[in-house]
Amino acid sequence: MISDRLLAEFDSIVRNYPVRRSALIPILLTTQEHLGYLSDESIAAIARYLNLPAIDVYEVVTFYSMLRRHPVGKHHIQVCTNISCLLLGGEEIFERVSKRLGIKEGETTSDGQFSLAEVECLGACCNAPAMQVNYTYYNDLTAEKVDQILQALQKPEER
Amino acid sequence: MPTVTINQKSLTVPEGTTIIQAAEQLNIEIPRYCYHPGLSIAGSCRMCLVEIEKMPKLQPACNTRVTDGMVVTTQSPKVKEAVSGVLEFLLINHPLDCPVCDQAGECYLQEYYMKFGLHDSRMNENKIKRHKAEVIGPHVILDTERCVLCSRCVRFVREVSRSHEIGIFNRGGQSEIRLLPDQVLDNNYSGNVVDICPVGALTDRDFRFQCRVWYLSKADSVCNGCSRGCNITVEANRQRAHHGEGRRVMRLKPRFNKEVNRWWICDIGRYGYKFIDDPSRLIQPLEKQGDELEPLDWSTAAERAVGRIREAKQRGGAGSIVIVASPQLTNEDLFVTRKFFGVDLGIDQIDFRIPDKNTLSDDDFLLRADRNPNTRGAEAILLDGGGFDLQRIIESASTQSFGLLYLCEQDLVKKLGSEPARRFLGQFDYVIYQGSNENETSGLANLVLPAATYAEVNGTFTNFEGRVQRIHAGIEPLGDSLPAWRVICKLAQTAGFDYGYESAAEVFVELAQTVTEFEGLSYEKIGSEGMKLPETQPVPA
Amino acid sequence: MPELALLTHVQHRNLMTVEEYRQTGGYEALRKVLLEMKPDQVIEEVKKSGLRGRGGAGFPTGMKWSFIPKNSEKPKYMVVNSDESEPGTCKDRVIIEKTPFLLLEGIAISSYAVGSSTCYLYIRGEYYDQAMILKQAIEDAYRHGFLGKNILGSGYNLDVYLHRGAGAYICGEETGLLESLEGKKGWPRLKPPFPAISGLYGCPTCVNNVETLAAVVSIIQNGGDWYAALGTPKNGGTRLFCVSGHVKKPGTYELPMGIPLRSIIYDYAGGMKDDRKLKAVIPGGSSVPILTADEIDVKMDFDSVAAIGSLLGSGGVVVINEDTCMVKALLRIARFYAHESCGQCTPCREGTTWLKKTLQRVYEGDARQAELDQVLSIAFNMMGTTICPLADAAAMPVRSYIQKFRHEFEYHVQHKCCDVKPAVRI
Repeated sequence: MISDRLLAEFDSIVRNYPVRRSALIPILLTTQEHLGYLSDESIAAIARYLNLPAIDVYEVVTFYSMLRRHPVGKHHIQVCTNISCLLLGGEEIFERVSKRLGIKEGETTSDGQFSLAEVECLGACCNAPAMQVNYTYYNDLTAEKVDQILQALQKPEER
Repeated sequence: MPTVTINQKSLTVPEGTTIIQAAEQLNIEIPRYCYHPGLSIAGSCRMCLVEIEKMPKLQPACNTRVTDGMVVTTQSPKVKEAVSGVLEFLLINHPLDCPVCDQAGECYLQEYYMKFGLHDSRMNENKIKRHKAEVIGPHVILDTERCVLCSRCVRFVREVSRSHEIGIFNRGGQSEIRLLPDQVLDNNYSGNVVDICPVGALTDRDFRFQCRVWYLSKADSVCNGCSRGCNITVEANRQRAHHGEGRRVMRLKPRFNKEVNRWWICDIGRYGYKFIDDPSRLIQPLEKQGDELEPLDWSTAAERAVGRIREAKQRGGAGSIVIVASPQLTNEDLFVTRKFFGVDLGIDQIDFRIPDKNTLSDDDFLLRADRNPNTRGAEAILLDGGGFDLQRIIESASTQSFGLLYLCEQDLVKKLGSEPARRFLGQFDYVIYQGSNENETSGLANLVLPAATYAEVNGTFTNFEGRVQRIHAGIEPLGDSLPAWRVICKLAQTAGFDYGYESAAEVFVELAQTVTEFEGLSYEKIGSEGMKLPETQPVPA
Repeated sequence: MPELALLTHVQHRNLMTVEEYRQTGGYEALRKVLLEMKPDQVIEEVKKSGLRGRGGAGFPTGMKWSFIPKNSEKPKYMVVNSDESEPGTCKDRVIIEKTPFLLLEGIAISSYAVGSSTCYLYIRGEYYDQAMILKQAIEDAYRHGFLGKNILGSGYNLDVYLHRGAGAYICGEETGLLESLEGKKGWPRLKPPFPAISGLYGCPTCVNNVETLAAVVSIIQNGGDWYAALGTPKNGGTRLFCVSGHVKKPGTYELPMGIPLRSIIYDYAGGMKDDRKLKAVIPGGSSVPILTADEIDVKMDFDSVAAIGSLLGSGGVVVINEDTCMVKALLRIARFYAHESCGQCTPCREGTTWLKKTLQRVYEGDARQAELDQVLSIAFNMMGTTICPLADAAAMPVRSYIQKFRHEFEYHVQHKCCDVKPAVRI
């Protein structure tokens, strides 16, 4: 459920707007950042908090590609394959990650550590191919670089 | 006020009028899916694109306000191309399951395809598979494959019913009408989403597979479900008697009336028609023989009724007779009731007000606590003579005994409770029940006279605001039942009073001449939209 | 080295604090505006500069500002569009990462010009680190009195709130952005009314791109005439060109408007990677019509690019070499628009998905040649029929790629493989 700490964050977000509903997307993002995803319970609680019909919140959650109703891996790998990345091997980078982790688009490794998504342009076109792991950008990727990144993420204690 | 020219026809309209509204006044059809006059403007279906002089891009007629001198065409090659293009987009993923779709015949995909499409399919991709035939509430079924995402239903639950059950989830080609997890479309206005759905995405469970719409006859009427008097169409299947379990009335649909219900009706009213073709209908006069009610013909029944009334009057005077009419009856029924019993027989004790132990309430929209369509009319017609206190007799449980009760269309057992009803009825030596359906009360009567339902008669109801509105017979009275005013006329004739009415219209002419509040009204003036009772001066005390 | 207007002081280092920024003359323009200029004078100066919206549409900024009613009973809002999502574009990010106070100063000047005391800075959700940079910069600016009450003793108040999006290209469309900012799906609004009259919360609202606002600072510092002279007639100033794809030195370059595309590719981006042959260039982000190798002498300003049938757009220059399968490139772009269509208007919702599916079959060689013309016709039916320009953005590349590289599409249909060597196996 929504913790008091999270509620306090909601309160501070709401203060930025003359209309309470404006806080919806920032609140959904914040909740997802804390809890990993947006459960039906979280959505209901947020709807109540903002005094909105729950259906409106579902519409929003299902509209935005970053908002998710199901958990992803601890390291959510998002590989861009849009035009600039495609030209420089974005699809190969995606395949590399997929093979190394043994998961396909939309899947999560059985240990819950990694999930994989093919995403649209991340705005890293001049450093293509690029990917994001959670919010961290990895640029100018090569197969070797991908291997190193995954290895480092797999063994966080050795970093 | 701006003047607009659409397809060479000019019209001056009030400021703020949109092109689609102006076109309607000129009888120019502009196709639309998302536009509905009762909802906010979405402007998203893009079917109503029109060409406006001096504007490079086509504009949606629903959202474009008329300006003075504006020249619009809805028939240019550019418009035709765009509209047929939009229609093609809407049809590429449509399942084309018209043979099993209830909407067929009143579907705007079909209609517009014939008018604006007629293209061959160029779709070589697999159609998107979606949710089909999902029961989403007590009255509605959703088929998302047929949906054109016009968002009318979404706007309806947001803006009109304010119940917020439906939304459009996801985006782009994945967009789909959905409800919340584990929620149902269950509000008293849910049936309206079926009416406003321009295609077969939302269909009515009650009407499902009952009848093809092209077999339906339609009669303008007024809902009898409460004192709002929502305008409706009674839609009956007269050609295919073996369909729909032999029912004649297949569905009720709301009929637009700006002053009363606009485009909507409530579910209680919409689905409240089942009694019309119910097996409980009284289809011939009945007389109590021992414990059983035995059938008899109308002339015998009328003679029996008049005989008993005369007998009671002779024995105990007019004061030994009580007439309980009903706010379910039409103004015409009530007028003839008053004329016969009150004027010609001199019976003062006429009322219609039965206290109801079931407390009902208004919702905050159309439905009124008074679930009768003609309480206002009954007050005007029956009570203008002043006071007879029926309620006192009922509530005081007086031991006074009466000769005869003539009871119309009121189930006392249901309203008062079994014990009080029996006690009240027990005060009378003889009880005549006139009504459309058998009920516990009719079962306690000595004589039962079958009356037609509101769907089977012409006449008028007066709603709570004093608006007099016409109803038209959509079907014939079932069996030997007769419109209530004809029942009374039959009794009157038997008693030697020949009123000579040929129709409800003739009754109304006399009603308007006789009852002060109705002065000056006529069927013509009432028209299809109804007319308020003229303001009457309060009678000085 | 041509004269710069945006990245003047950040060629070798970033300016991440108010102090660093001020050492390079930062906030002098704001001081000048607040203490010496009336809002109308600011608008006039910007009009003189020939500055046109850097988001992609190229609408004259000064004119846009002048649409905001002077006297409004409702509050007026300044909204910053930093939803940078057009494939091939990563310029706003450079400003935020290198010189966030340039943006904040530009916001303050512009807000003052349109008479707004409240600004929302809408940044795409994926730009988390960039949002954190801005968050810190905003706090820093408040601390130093460059935001908040009575800025520089002028009596002018301005609050800036950072607002993160959550992944939707359509929110780059200004009314989609406003819907999103109001906590709704990013469904673009019907126009009229336009945001200048009825925008955020139904109030007069000015929506400007990051690069546009950043450019305002140098316009005030050096004058509108100076800025105008940097570019070509009606296309004042400099532009951030994000050069990506098959070049030796991909990157974001600030260059004068009107610079030849050839020069951008060969003089600044180092020429073709691995010295392969140039085949095509997307001059302004994925949605604009593509140019062939023999069209690169075009001057990169709004009007010159439009004159040869494409658009300057967002400044995302994507360079494509001879080894690239244009069918695949188009398919990827079509997939993008199908993914990003908001789903509101019929032609876009249905058309983008239809195009994607058919192009997939063309790519796989599983389509008939006649379907290429059908694709063109679908794209044609999408154009000019929707609330926002996304349908056009999806349709324009389809038409130009097939028209200019038709033989590659036909080859796919006929041979189930690419006409480029080495042939990519499908």
